[in-house]
Parts: sequence; C-alpha cells; structure tokens
Amino acid sequence: MSDVMTSQAKPSPPRDGSPPKLAVRDLVKTRRSTSGSLVTAVDHVTFDVHVGQFVCLLGPSGCGKTSILNVLAGLDQPSSGQVLLDGRPIAGPGPNRAVLFQEPALFPWLTVAGNVELALKLTGVPGDQRPGRARRWLENVGLGPYGDAQPHELSAGMRQRAQLARALATEPDVLLGDEPFGALDAQARELLQDEVQRVWLERGGRKTFVFVTHNVREAALLADRVLVMSAAPGRLLEEVRISAPRPRQLDDVLVARVVSDVHELLMREVGRASAEGGPR
Amino acid sequence: MSEHTSAGVGATSDGKGTAAEQLAALDLSEDERLVLAKVADIVRRISYGTVVLVIQDGKVVQIEMAEKFRLR
Repeated sequence: MSDVMTSQAKPSPPRDGSPPKLAVRDLVKTRRSTSGSLVTAVDHVTFDVHVGQFVCLLGPSGCGKTSILNVLAGLDQPSSGQVLLDGRPIAGPGPNRAVLFQEPALFPWLTVAGNVELALKLTGVPGDQRPGRARRWLENVGLGPYGDAQPHELSAGMRQRAQLARALATEPDVLLGDEPFGALDAQARELLQDEVQRVWLERGGRKTFVFVTHNVREAALLADRVLVMSAAPGRLLEEVRISAPRPRQLDDVLVARVVSDVHELLMREVGRASAEGGPR
Repeated sequence: MSEHTSAGVGATSDGKGTAAEQLAALDLSEDERLVLAKVADIVRRISYGTVVLVIQDGKVVQIEMAEKFRLR
C-alpha cells in the first residue's frame, strides 16, 4: 500500500524538532481608538509557524488578524510579547518576507515588468539579472504577454497576479498575505487560489506562507493549519490541521467538512460576541 | 489488492460476531490490513477530527485527515 498518503503537509511541530521559522509569543497589540481610549486588538496570542507550512489566520472582521500580520511583516511593533523570525525579534520589514496586500499597490508609472524589476533592485539583485527574472516570474503567473503593460491596463485579478510575481521574484523565505484575494470576484479569486497552491507546491514546501483571511473556504483550501480567532479582542480559539494533498478543490470531501466545521464555530463566535455587545 | 468477498463460513462482516470473527471472515489482504493499521493509528492519535479514505478502483489510494485543537 505504498501509494497511500496520509499527508503532504508537515506536522506541527515537525518531528525533527527544528526551531520555528516564525514564533509569536504572548503577543498583545493595543491601539488608540478615535475617542482616545485604549483598545486591545490582539490579546495574548501564541503560535509557531515552521518552515514550509501554510498557515491561515481566520477570524471575523476586526479580530486583530491583520494586526498580527503587520507585526510579522515588521510594519508594526508588539505592544507586549515577542514575535521572532528564525529566533530573532522582528525589528522591521526585510527582504526575507514579502507581503501581498488586498490592493496590489503597483506603481502606476512603471510597467508591470518594471514593478517586478524594482522589487528585485531593492533586494539587491544585479541589474543584468532583473529583466530575465521578472519575465520568468510574470510567465509563471500567466502574465508573460503583459510585461510591457501599465498596471491600469490589467484587470483586478491580473494586477493581483502581478503583485504575486513581484513578491515571489524576490525569493522571500516567508510570504505574508493580508486578504490578498478579498477584493476579487469569485472566479478571479479561484484562479489565484489555484496559482498560490501551484507556487507553494513548486517551491517543494520550502516557502512559509501565512495568510490572513475571513474566507473559511479559502483557508480550508490553502492551509496546512487554520488558526481560528475569536471576535475582538482577538484570541486563538481553535486550530485545524489539515493533511490532504494539493492542489485541493473546494468540493473535496475533507475540505468541505473543514469548511462546515469552521463556519459553525465562527458563527457561534460571532453570535456570542454580538450577544455580549459586539466588538469592544 | 486482490479481490475479496465476505462470503466466509460462519461469522460475516455484516457487523455480527466478535471483532476477531469479523476480521477472520473478511480474510484481509496485506494491503487491507495496512489500511486498517493506518486508520487505527490515526484514530489513536486524534482526539477530534475527520478522516477521509479516498478509494479508486476498489483500493484506498489516499488517507486525508483534519485534526482539531481547542486553543482556549
């Protein structure tokens, strides 16, 4: 029965006892509301992410998942607790982490290829290597013929592909996504989800992905580990570890089952939060 | 995986008889025993979750699982 697989996903923690790629330790993130009061966005959250894992942080709007991602990206600092990359505190953004935002934020005065090349320049790739590498990555995400186009000439889905090419061309160890497909129509979203699964597979599970989403289906489709968060203030409620080969489909029995379970949990959580007076 | 039927004499695989009798009646092949061992191992390790057996042409070709942990 050698063809039976239990998993392509790495267990958590890995059996070899290797240290985590990312470690979030008792993270608290507070912010000042418009009225001046202190609001707790993230409330004592602890988790590890190991090399090659695909982790989705899932939770209702305002649960603090983006706050966690911003700290991982180095765009924000913890109010208390620690966030470590390879065992060292994250002090700011770095070339070892790329971020996919909901809005692709491509420079409108540069061509699509120019946007990718700029990212390569900023990460120290020699000038003679940039055009070829940009072209290869654009081809990789199906944008080969659009390198000379301006961003505004592309559809929303294609701009998001360009952002993906720009992020991956720099060969980051960690890819962070803040609802990267949230603004896309259902069809473009599905195509991008397939693309991300393919990219993850092609990197042989060596890249570490952390995506924030409020889309249960997306989390079940993409992740090895779904970390479900509570309504504000954000705490971790439940983890679902999924061992199923990729690429996955939304109608796979296991994916559908996870979607159903997590959806039920989230609905209970949202109901509980609204009964207690809504997000604080 | 060879062809198998549950047309054994005495105990059958219809849920009657002791576990040993039912297993004996099934006359499991090595491959089938491996699947059962794998499933039993998963069941022992998981407290809450789901296991899916993917079957093609009468053979288990994949075992998928999702395990749930409460974190608070």
